[in-house]
Amino acid sequence: MSKVLLIIPAYNEEESLWSLIEEIKTVCPYVDYLVVNDCSSDDTDRLLSELGANYITLPCNMGIGGAVQSGYRYAAQNEYDIAIQIDGDGQHDVRFVKDMVKLIEDKQADVVIGSRFIDKEGFQSSQARRIGIRILSMLIRLMCGAKVKDVTSGFRAVNRRFIELFAENYPDDYPEPEVIVTAKLYGAVIKELPVVMRERTTGKSSINLKRSIYYMIKVSLAIIICRISLGFRR
Amino acid sequence: MMTDKLRILLIIAVLCYFGVILKLLKDKALSLKYTLLWLFSGVVLGLMVLFPGALAYIIHRFGIYSEMNGLIFLCIGFLIIICIALTSIVTRQNKKIRVLIQEVAIMEKRLREVENEKE
Repeated sequence: MSKVLLIIPAYNEEESLWSLIEEIKTVCPYVDYLVVNDCSSDDTDRLLSELGANYITLPCNMGIGGAVQSGYRYAAQNEYDIAIQIDGDGQHDVRFVKDMVKLIEDKQADVVIGSRFIDKEGFQSSQARRIGIRILSMLIRLMCGAKVKDVTSGFRAVNRRFIELFAENYPDDYPEPEVIVTAKLYGAVIKELPVVMRERTTGKSSINLKRSIYYMIKVSLAIIICRISLGFRR
Repeated sequence: MMTDKLRILLIIAVLCYFGVILKLLKDKALSLKYTLLWLFSGVVLGLMVLFPGALAYIIHRFGIYSEMNGLIFLCIGFLIIICIALTSIVTRQNKKIRVLIQEVAIMEKRLREVENEKE
């Protein structure tokens, strides 16, 4: 049995964390989890402490990239075989963790991405966002040949090799699409697993409409630069 | 042409520039590592002002026919290089801070666990 760690980045998610942790305990008690509290301004820290949860609290706010990377660093230091990142807002259903672990244990994939666009079930996000995601997906395919539909999905599992890689090398902000390129250029076999996502019930997405133009430009550039800087690896 | 009046003014300016940098270095408000570029550009500018003939010769080769324009061109060039160097320093420090924050957080968790065990 592999040692599995769920990495849960959380910024001001006190309303959803409690139920997520309960869900993990009942649905997949065989995995460990680590909440990375990204210096939340609400009572997340106290809640985690009262729950007796397994958590770290970052002394400064670092954004999603830095928070997730802390989780990978922890996983690398504590010799986990598989790390699965999952959003703290309850969008992702932990029932799929089992399937992700299985894909990696059977050596079918190095990186598994939970995708809501394969079976097209559950929350599908807005039309505008789907178009943006499709453009990024095409760009990633063009840059490194990885065929991933749900490139912004923050629900993904990686094996030991990529835990170590991500512990050292992980982008700062809006990391999800860029990481796919990094992984692919390091020779990862990437598989998408159909999952059902829920519409977030609490908190708000870190990508609002105002930031979406900035998001598209920054992420597209990051993908291209990532491709150039890792270009000779293939 | 650079008038004598302007040359004297520029020499005084360069001397003040060095004075400020050396004072800051002495007070350890600047570390020499990041000041080398500033000192180097100061030396080049100082030489240009002291030897306008050399300045005129060099900038004519680049197709600039006024010493003042050449000097300003040089200054802007140095400023851009220094800005890029600063951005790169900030980026490198950012990376270090990031590792520090993550390590501190992980250590804090271990400390918390050790303390809990003790109780």
